Amino acid sequence: MNASKSKNDDIFTGSSKKRKRGASLDVRKARAGWWFVMPFIIGIVILYIPIVFDSIKYSFHEIKILTGGGFKLNWVGLKNYSDALFVDPTYVQTLVTGIKQLIVDIPAIVIFALFVAILLNGKIAGRAAFRAIFFIPVLLTTGLIADIDNQNILATAMEGAEIDTGTGESAVAQIVSVMDVQALFSNMMVGTELVEYVVNLVNNIFNIINRSGVQMMIFLAGLQSISPAIYESCSIDGASGWETFWKITLPMVSPMILVNTVYTVIDSFTSSSNRVMSYISSVYASSSGQVLSSAMSWMYFLIVMIIIAAVAGLLSLFVFYQRRD
Amino acid sequence: MNKVETAPKITKETKNSIRVDFERTPLLERLKARFVNVYFFQKVLVYVFKFLFLLGISYVILFPFYSKISSSFMSAEDFVDVTVNMVPRHPTLATYKAIILDNNYWKAFLNTLLLAGSCAILQTFVCCLVGYGFAKFKFKGNGILFLVVIFTMIVPHQTLQLSMFMKFRYFDIGIGKFSIFNFLGGGLIDSVNVLKDPWLRLINTFWPLIILSATGLAFKNGLYIFMMRSFFKGIPDELEESAYLDGSGTFRTFVQIILPLSIPMLITVFMFAFSWQWTDNYYTTVFFTTTGPLLMPKIVKVPKSLNTAYAGSNMYEAAIRNTCGILILLPLLILYTFMQRFIVQGIERSGITG
Repeated sequence: MNASKSKNDDIFTGSSKKRKRGASLDVRKARAGWWFVMPFIIGIVILYIPIVFDSIKYSFHEIKILTGGGFKLNWVGLKNYSDALFVDPTYVQTLVTGIKQLIVDIPAIVIFALFVAILLNGKIAGRAAFRAIFFIPVLLTTGLIADIDNQNILATAMEGAEIDTGTGESAVAQIVSVMDVQALFSNMMVGTELVEYVVNLVNNIFNIINRSGVQMMIFLAGLQSISPAIYESCSIDGASGWETFWKITLPMVSPMILVNTVYTVIDSFTSSSNRVMSYISSVYASSSGQVLSSAMSWMYFLIVMIIIAAVAGLLSLFVFYQRRD
Repeated sequence: MNKVETAPKITKETKNSIRVDFERTPLLERLKARFVNVYFFQKVLVYVFKFLFLLGISYVILFPFYSKISSSFMSAEDFVDVTVNMVPRHPTLATYKAIILDNNYWKAFLNTLLLAGSCAILQTFVCCLVGYGFAKFKFKGNGILFLVVIFTMIVPHQTLQLSMFMKFRYFDIGIGKFSIFNFLGGGLIDSVNVLKDPWLRLINTFWPLIILSATGLAFKNGLYIFMMRSFFKGIPDELEESAYLDGSGTFRTFVQIILPLSIPMLITVFMFAFSWQWTDNYYTTVFFTTTGPLLMPKIVKVPKSLNTAYAGSNMYEAAIRNTCGILILLPLLILYTFMQRFIVQGIERSGITG
């Protein structure tokens, strides 16, 4: 009772001692904010910055593990970079095909994810089950399991496979035959490049489905944040579903398209199933290729950063932000 | 409209219900008007198409799992027999038995459980703290620090492979000579010499991953921080303000008000962290050499007791590897079926809407 009274006095009279010592609420909150992010800051300063710095440093050096323990660095300048570009026989080739693949995959993944998200957002029987199923690959077909699949594809490619090895390729083959798609499109006379693109997509559909789980969830979250009143007023004005999609849904989810595109680029180029990344890993595993691999991956990183910047810049021209107030 | 039809007759009236009798169009005609038109047919067609499409995609996702499971029960003869396609003719548990016994499954299971569990709990907790800090507090450098988070997300860990290995192989805190373990190892003063080498060798221990998790730098932690931040941004500030008014401090508000609210989100992040650490084979190959503790990646091999030296050997070995995969995934699948509801909820509520 007594204590609370004195506390009240403090508040009302504003004791000068407290004023001096205690900072304002904003400053105190800012200080608390620092405490919350402290683990991350410690990690960045003690671990991450040295690790990134070392990685850049190593890419300009030759490394030698000493027999007595410890290691020695010899400065070699740009040798690792020029080796990667001009001496290594397959790096440039892998890089070009990898980036081409990336550019093909991005729109496919984003459009597929949006399409499925719209389907899953509507009323359909077994919606919860579908959502759960579509999210399975994100959690389960990663890392080790993807590795096992890759090994199996390699193993079965050597001999004609008769029994399915569980890599998902045959499931697609059972639904659509690639040859059929080719025939269909060549009859439509739309140019060979488009045909090639579509055939590539069908070949890759399993891959694309597997990689679009998170994007789908992001789109789903975005779709659910659109107020149903907008759709209602649209349908009262007599808009068809098609018009509603182009005039309402697409602009409203356009920020998510930007987020998803950037996420897809990052995700696909940091995943180890990526062709360039697996090549870099194989270089790392070879003897004395460690420094070469860090030079290679820094170059790759720079190229992908340029791609991300270009894509984000291009898309942000078309992004529509709803004014919230 | 203007012609008033026979007024509805009230046939029965009680306190709570009323039955009214009026002339209606016959049932058959009403049904006809409702169902036999273009609009309805179009709706049904679209619905069927949607459903079939989703079913097809689900099939593509689930089929590999089915074929993995079915081939894991096949006996050796089934791989030579061409007529055996999807259903094993001589079902056997020999493959499972061999993997569990020969490849030391349970030991790898316990080791991985310990590693993935501790890492996932740490990552969830740390990312939650950091995400909350970014979402709700305006301090100097907030924006720049968050850019650093994005940066850690973008830089692939393969780029840092070598330097990460070197960092934890020769673990030290500080720069050059002025570092903790250099000091303890007698690098500066000879009389202080606790360690044999002026560094700590953390390779083949759980420490590298624990340290990375505790500082929010492990695999995809940037994404978790991002998710947590957007989730906390969605929680109205008034909630905390009222707690502050009642005299609760920042940390107490966080523990007592915010944490109970964010349980679905915490479970989602935990599931991500746990399952990605569980099936991870990147860090386990960087930080663990062949002499290290037995973890999941090391049990993926053909067990000694199974003889694969005959015609269908490639298929058989693939099936064995898939069986290893199933054994690895099984605990995750069980976990996922229990957590699935929370995960979908958590991701929807995370509102990664920028």
